[in-house]
Amino acid sequence: MQSSGFPARAAGRQQVLLNHLRPTEGGMEPGMGRGLFQKNNCSAGDSAAYERRGAASDDIVVVSALRTPITKGKRGGLKDTLPDDMMEAVFRATIQRTGVNPADIGDIVMGSVLGDSSQRAIQVRIAGLLAGIPDNVPVHTVNRQCSSGLQAIASVAASIQAGYYDIGVAGGVESMSTNPMAWDGGVNPKIADNQEAQDCLLPMGMTSENVAERYGITRQQQDEMAARSHKRAGDARASGRFKDEIVPVKTVWKSKEGEEKEIVVSEDDGIRVGVTAQALSGLKPVFKKGGTTTAGNSSQISDGASAVLLMKRSEALKRGLPILGIFRSFAAVGVDPAVMGIGPAVAIPAAVEKAGLSVDDIDVFELNEAFASQATYCVEKLGLDPERVNPNGGAIALGHPLGCTGARATATLLHEMRKRGKAARFGVVSMCIGSGMGAAAVFERGGEIDAFRNAAPTQAQGFLSHDARV
Amino acid sequence: MAPFRTAFNGYAVKFSPFEEGRVAVATAQNFGIIGNGRQYVLQMTPNGLVEVAEFDTKDGIYDCAWSEENENILVSSCGDGSVKVWDVAAPPGANPIRSMQEHTREVYCVNWNVVRRNTFLTGSWDDTIKLWDLNSPASLATFKEHTYCVYAATWNPAHADVFMSASGDCSVKIWDLRQARPTLSMAAHAFEILSADWCKYNDCVIATASVDKSIKLWDVRAPDRELTSLLGHTYAVRRVQFSPHSENILASCSYDMTVRLWNAAAPEDALLRVWDHHTEFVVGLDWSSLAEGTLASCGWDEMAHVWNQNSDPRAQ
Repeated sequence: MQSSGFPARAAGRQQVLLNHLRPTEGGMEPGMGRGLFQKNNCSAGDSAAYERRGAASDDIVVVSALRTPITKGKRGGLKDTLPDDMMEAVFRATIQRTGVNPADIGDIVMGSVLGDSSQRAIQVRIAGLLAGIPDNVPVHTVNRQCSSGLQAIASVAASIQAGYYDIGVAGGVESMSTNPMAWDGGVNPKIADNQEAQDCLLPMGMTSENVAERYGITRQQQDEMAARSHKRAGDARASGRFKDEIVPVKTVWKSKEGEEKEIVVSEDDGIRVGVTAQALSGLKPVFKKGGTTTAGNSSQISDGASAVLLMKRSEALKRGLPILGIFRSFAAVGVDPAVMGIGPAVAIPAAVEKAGLSVDDIDVFELNEAFASQATYCVEKLGLDPERVNPNGGAIALGHPLGCTGARATATLLHEMRKRGKAARFGVVSMCIGSGMGAAAVFERGGEIDAFRNAAPTQAQGFLSHDARV
Repeated sequence: MAPFRTAFNGYAVKFSPFEEGRVAVATAQNFGIIGNGRQYVLQMTPNGLVEVAEFDTKDGIYDCAWSEENENILVSSCGDGSVKVWDVAAPPGANPIRSMQEHTREVYCVNWNVVRRNTFLTGSWDDTIKLWDLNSPASLATFKEHTYCVYAATWNPAHADVFMSASGDCSVKIWDLRQARPTLSMAAHAFEILSADWCKYNDCVIATASVDKSIKLWDVRAPDRELTSLLGHTYAVRRVQFSPHSENILASCSYDMTVRLWNAAAPEDALLRVWDHHTEFVVGLDWSSLAEGTLASCGWDEMAHVWNQNSDPRAQ
């Protein structure tokens, strides 16, 4: 017994009781090291919608968002990897990391753009079966060009909300190394009389030139954005900021001499560390003489796959899964095909309004950098703080595997928001879409008055026999 | 039922298993952090709760339990490590009739065996659980396996040798008196576990309550995953107790100042009622085993309430 007198004992008692009142919120879910947190100022606006609300059990939530590394087309680590193998890797990791019984998945929806449509649908099926997902789980693909991955997420969210199924996988895949941009057969002669229909056939780079010209985006602005993208992506990769979202892929890679090597791809390889706007300014315009769009300030041709697991909050709570974010709203809009890159400038306000917010409320944007011209335009047009846009770099540095990008950006966004904790409540994923469209989705995280945190601790695997456990 | 105002902060309330309407209330001065303790025995009357007896102690009382053998015997567990035995029928000078000083720190819980009715358990912040028999001069056994404060030790309602303990080391352990070590240890929550109780109708089902605000139900035969989680408390859950009259009904009280009634069989609509009659932490809670649906609570607002689950505790 402590006989040293009451004060010491009273202090001890007080400490034990104070421990009962320890906060359990603020991202202390098991498996989430507290060391990950950094200080971030809450930059969100102060509109009326910015109120804390109760956690609705029918919110559609993301419980897992993973991707392969994004690698350079024809040269990068995944250039010889089949799309099925990329998808298998992310499907397998999704199941393993969440512990969800694969037979419970109601549907798998994958965005895919360039690959042959029917062949790609079968490859999704094959990937599912290879990943150990039983044959009772159906699959399909969607194609809304560059937003296919985001469209897949929106479709799954809507299907869950509609009650078609309880749990769905949405994602995207693209192997630009093996599927070039191509056009089958002739062009419809009727488009001669319709300027907009004609513009649908413009090379994307030309639409970028159009945006730069029409809205006065200078070459220097574009090169600066490109250099910033590489800088941020390089910093993020170096500090391990992508570690949580990337699934390493074990694959075979062929050298120029045709020699096959077994490698593990675990990092994005398109990022050019140390590149400056000065250096980029030396590159020649690709699409138009005297133009401003160069290989250096356009998105890269890439390979990659991503997968997001969605379900209702009630389902996530039942299964003890962490809630990465709530899917709040989605909007796809059409714009003039000649300046397709302005899509996000229309889609973001539409999606944000559907979520009952204003653009000021959004803490983090994943705005796809198809071209620095259009991304710069969208940031300026919406008056966004550049600090909130693509904090970990964008497609200019990371690459733009078309069908995969929407889900890739969602993974990057949600993991970034998780690391920021309370300092990031709303996030937006948006991109422009070939033939003149834009899409955007709003995600929310940690806005609940009293967040339920029932994520079960992952049991440490001691590799002892079951009997040896106390 | 009109509430009773205690002089100190309430820590535990227990219905007598023999006399309907008799409750024991354990209290401690200055929130149990420093000061004296007082054990009350109250009786429900048409005019509300009326005091029958009170016993003072040098240190705060954190829990109490009625004997299952003798209607007048009551045990209190104290902050100074002592366990005091009172006889409500004995003259005031004779009390306490026993005082056992073995625990080295605060004794936070006491629980009487309802099957083998001469034994009871105490759990302490010295990380140990002790087994006692009033006919024996010293404790019969000490169970030391937890690595932090033991907050609850509860007998299985069907087996005389089986009990469970809940601790601030985030584990719940199931013990069999015939074995020195626990038969099962479960990492039931990621935060401290403040209370645990057995289902009275299924001897394998337990409920645990934690600082993580949740109550979890477990089947001890399948300890890998909880049967269900009851979410709603907004601060640590201090006590959880299964109804003696219904398999799936539980009551809980919390640092969020509410008492809640749950139906564990309805996972989506588990929360049946929320009572906010206390104005401070609610620490003590008990079901009456004699009058179905009757609950008692006490808390740091120095109030002890007895009410029916279908009514408001403040209704006169």
